[in-house]
Amino acid sequence: MTDDELRDEVRNWLSANWNPDIDRASWAHIVVDAGWAVPSWEPEWYGHGVSDAQSRLVAAEFAAVGAHGCGHDRGNLFACTLHDVGTEEQKRRLIPPSIRGESKWCLLYSEPGAGSDLAGLRTRAERDGDEWVINGQKVWTSFAKTADYGMLVARTDWDVPKHQGISFFMLPMRQAGVEVRPIHQITGESEFNEVFIEDARLPAENLVGELNAGWSVLQTALGYERRFMADIARTAKDAKRPQAEKAHLLVELAREAGRLEDPYIRQQIARVDALATVNRWNAQRSKAAVDRAEAATLMALGKIAMSRILHETARVETEIVGAEAMLTGPDNPTGDAVTFRTLNAYFTSIGGGTDQIQRNIVGERVLGLPKEPEPYRNTPFRELPH
Amino acid sequence: MPTVTPFAVSDEQRALRSAVADLMARHSSEAQVRTQMTTDTGLEPTVWHELAAMGLTGLLIDEEHGGAGAGPVEMGIAMEEMGRTLLVGPFLSTAVLVPSLLAATGDAAESGAVLPRIAAGELIATAAFAEDGSARLPARIATSAGQIGDTWHVTGYKHFVLDGQSAELLYVLAATDGGPAVFAVDAGAPGLAVTPLTTVDPTRKQCRLQFVDTPARLIGQPGAGVGVFNAALDACALALVSEQAGGARRAVEMATEYAKTRYQFGRAIGSFQAVKHMCADMLLEAESAVSAARFAANSFAEHAPSRIADLALAQAYCSDAFVFVAATSIQVHGGIGFTWEHPAHLYLRRARSDAQLLGSPSWHRERYLQQIGA
Repeated sequence: MTDDELRDEVRNWLSANWNPDIDRASWAHIVVDAGWAVPSWEPEWYGHGVSDAQSRLVAAEFAAVGAHGCGHDRGNLFACTLHDVGTEEQKRRLIPPSIRGESKWCLLYSEPGAGSDLAGLRTRAERDGDEWVINGQKVWTSFAKTADYGMLVARTDWDVPKHQGISFFMLPMRQAGVEVRPIHQITGESEFNEVFIEDARLPAENLVGELNAGWSVLQTALGYERRFMADIARTAKDAKRPQAEKAHLLVELAREAGRLEDPYIRQQIARVDALATVNRWNAQRSKAAVDRAEAATLMALGKIAMSRILHETARVETEIVGAEAMLTGPDNPTGDAVTFRTLNAYFTSIGGGTDQIQRNIVGERVLGLPKEPEPYRNTPFRELPH
Repeated sequence: MPTVTPFAVSDEQRALRSAVADLMARHSSEAQVRTQMTTDTGLEPTVWHELAAMGLTGLLIDEEHGGAGAGPVEMGIAMEEMGRTLLVGPFLSTAVLVPSLLAATGDAAESGAVLPRIAAGELIATAAFAEDGSARLPARIATSAGQIGDTWHVTGYKHFVLDGQSAELLYVLAATDGGPAVFAVDAGAPGLAVTPLTTVDPTRKQCRLQFVDTPARLIGQPGAGVGVFNAALDACALALVSEQAGGARRAVEMATEYAKTRYQFGRAIGSFQAVKHMCADMLLEAESAVSAARFAANSFAEHAPSRIADLALAQAYCSDAFVFVAATSIQVHGGIGFTWEHPAHLYLRRARSDAQLLGSPSWHRERYLQQIGA
């Protein structure tokens, strides 16, 4: 099907079916039954068999009329992972409620002792009859309070090297053994949660992929997550395209603070403007690149660049507002905003992999530098120092 | 003319890049750079004629004057490749600065007489504008010109003059009663003394010029000199940022290659995060410099309203980036990088010289701010 034919089909279907007053649940059923919730999947699996690029086009048509329910083949990591590696039974049982929005999910990956080294996770899963019993602690979980399922990686074999003893499960979150506590972040906000898991249970049918093959299932899930993040970054960038004004926020801040004539401040502002502008140019070059390696290089560098932009912007804002930076709260909006941005910059430089890990990735995958030696590569997990 | 997206590359541009790269591989190896940088002029006639034969000395010159009629994007491509290998020669002065200057004067007679010879590789020429204390145009021009009968005479001096040793023709910014103007002076003219400067970057020749009642020809109109020179310097800066980007990229490659092959403690030093992270940071700066240089070139090619701001920002960024990358490369190389025999320092020398050649990074940052109304 050509793009134009598809666009026409979606438009016709929407004009025949979409009604802004319809209730969410009924609409979700209609969308799923018509194959538009996951357009790029096969028709036998709730889809429409269109290409990956075309599924974005369908989502855009839905967005244009304000209809929800589309895009689960890109943003629903739970459904996407099951679609790729789930059993027939899992796909029949778990996917439809998920793509109808009836069941929600969260990610149970990081642990207090397993951040950058995720494969060092220590949450354990032990078989008990037809069930698995889970014990451990997860952290940095968004939407844990509202989730029905946690996409869980847990250790199922302690006597093999760390990557080889991990399994992937769908853990029912609404049970006594799962306790969710919000994390109080340094910014004062609470976007993330800790999840304490004590003798929680899940049915054996919720093991995803082979036993002890969880690391490869995780790579599938992470691949979808990265693609989704890139989608979000792309749409966010397009949305605030007239960015020329935004780039000069520091100038305006300095003007208001009466510091715009200070040559030191002026130099600092221009430096930060250059960091932000050049990063935008890198992103444009990445998009235009015919050479995939060039595009990938610029994408990998983008995260390091963004961390620096955020930290440096906050640093220069602090220079501009001076003593106000000591004050916070609603009575002191200037200082409050500067401090918020100073602290929130760590969201980017730590979250989703620290800048240091990102530099390893750039060094190893882009520049081809050798990896650190791994002395414990063949050591059973049980024997690792921790 | 349809607007081209900033980073689109045509097949012709790809071919140009590979042709220049090939020429550099044949004529600008490290050994050849070292040989030429020890000469007084840095000019190697065979190389120069090859540059001309490939159309590079005439790249910015219009077709009616025997050139290729190309723009800043194509020149940027050529300069990236020349910057990679630290090509020695009067290219920036003769093939970029002077053609841009003559284009800005609108002097048809002078252009007709001079540009075909540059395109053909028969003439080395330069332009002299800076005086003591700054590599930009002086706020008050100390060099002056006056008429004796029909003939103009220039008196004064110029500093930081690119390739003045090899140039047969010099364009000089001098004050007149009618305002600053451009004058042409022949290399052998009476009252002209050319003193080579000892430069940190031996691959780039500079000199000081002294004029005592030196006969000169007025080019264009009195009063137009500052505008003409500023336009020429912007064109030159576009080429310079590309040279910086190309040099920075090469410095990253050299450091990375070394980090893969140098073993200490039983492992390649590039496997240590301390070294790996330096390389990653270098890559970010070099690739950002490439984007900045290409975007600025496209801005000028498209005559974008933001082009001066884009160039000022790019020039400040590329200067700092090339210096950072070249300096970090020495650190990655360790002891061998501290030796004269290793080329790492040649890149730092070029980077430090480039970062001042058309104004310091802070000068360009201030220019950027004024352009955005700050």
